[in-house]
Amino acid sequence: MPATPVWLAAAESLLNRGIDRSIRAAALAGHLDRTSLELRIEGLVPVRIAITSGHLVLARGGGADAGAVITGSLLALVDLFARREGGAAPRAAERVQISGDAEIAARYRDLLELARPDWEEELSRLIGDLPARRISLAAQAAFSWARGFARTAGANAAEYLQEESRALVSKPEVEEFLAKVDELRETADRVEARLARLERRLEGPAREGRA
Amino acid sequence: MKISDRSADFGFEKVLWAQKAGRVRAVFSSVAGKYDLMNDLMSFGVHRLWKHFTLSLTGLKPGQRALDVAGGTGDLAIGLARQVGKSGQVVLSDINPEMLAAGRDRLLDAGFAGNVECVLADAERLPCAGDSFDCVTIGFGLRNVTDKGAALASMYRVLKPGGQLLVLEFSKPVAPGLKPLYDAYSFGVLPRLGEWVAKDAASYRYLAESIRMHPDQEALLAMLAEAGFGQTRYHNLTGGIVAVHRGYKI
Repeated sequence: MPATPVWLAAAESLLNRGIDRSIRAAALAGHLDRTSLELRIEGLVPVRIAITSGHLVLARGGGADAGAVITGSLLALVDLFARREGGAAPRAAERVQISGDAEIAARYRDLLELARPDWEEELSRLIGDLPARRISLAAQAAFSWARGFARTAGANAAEYLQEESRALVSKPEVEEFLAKVDELRETADRVEARLARLERRLEGPAREGRA
Repeated sequence: MKISDRSADFGFEKVLWAQKAGRVRAVFSSVAGKYDLMNDLMSFGVHRLWKHFTLSLTGLKPGQRALDVAGGTGDLAIGLARQVGKSGQVVLSDINPEMLAAGRDRLLDAGFAGNVECVLADAERLPCAGDSFDCVTIGFGLRNVTDKGAALASMYRVLKPGGQLLVLEFSKPVAPGLKPLYDAYSFGVLPRLGEWVAKDAASYRYLAESIRMHPDQEALLAMLAEAGFGQTRYHNLTGGIVAVHRGYKI
């Protein structure tokens, strides 16, 4: 059996601490005892997740006896296991493939969601509560600033391309253009119908004259 | 074959089965005073990272019980005591009285009293009740044990069902190009370092030789499975110079 990478061991410790913190996660882990799930991530080694006596165990996968197998790209799997507000369906659901016992797969998904690491808590284990809190606040501020900056930069770029360089058209212009196209199409349809009716009228007396 | 005729490896030397424990005890009695300093010098301090990684795998919670076998000067025991807290218990065991005394003094100096006990014990016959520990660790001790299978079976016996064994031990380098450098360092530098600092080249020559005679990653993994452990795995550290083997009593 090849060595289990150290990063898997670190992830396992993080998740087990997450399970210990949550009563619901611990209960779910109890229900999943002696079951396993295999993650087949495109381009990476398969990872096997198992529960043994309430402990989550991560190892290199590849066995044929996993209760369920989830296959997909790394991004799709991250999206699948990411926490969602209000229990909304994962966006990546259609990009992953689940085989085997779907209930086991769903329960592992719930377990990983509940056991998600508390990064501030993990940092505080290394450097103490106060520095961890400060770093966490700074990271939140930096993330918020980066998100605001990305939003503003996007809006500015769109405005330049739409209003100054005129390389792109604005949304109202596009909507107005499409509305006019619809209007034109409807007018053309009406004209076509009138022409057809006129043709039928013209053809009617001609047929009667021939008779 | 009678047990009195069986031989065991003492480094590259073959000694009588019954003599190995005494020879190993003599090595560690000789180096106990400088053991921690030598560990830092020999590994450039990296042994602290190896032990920190091992402790990160225990999964221990406050109130639980842990056993550190062949715990020597107590590096792992101190970490275990922090994890189980005042409501838990750690037992530090070693076959060598000088090493155990050094470990006990370090634990007391670090402020651990009441939740830590020290036991002079042979890893092959642990004097502890069965199913009594949530985690058992053995750091750089298994290769010095005469009957490794018996030691693993003894550790399995004292673990609670669901408990985990962690074996931190020197192993076989797997990183490309590392082996010749490692050999040159082990046989060229280590004995000299032992002579200068601990005034004992022979003990550090034994250290290098015993590492070479220790089972490699796969062989030790098979030994864990043979002793009854389930979910067995290992992690290579520093290119395989050291490996952490794990197994659960299922």
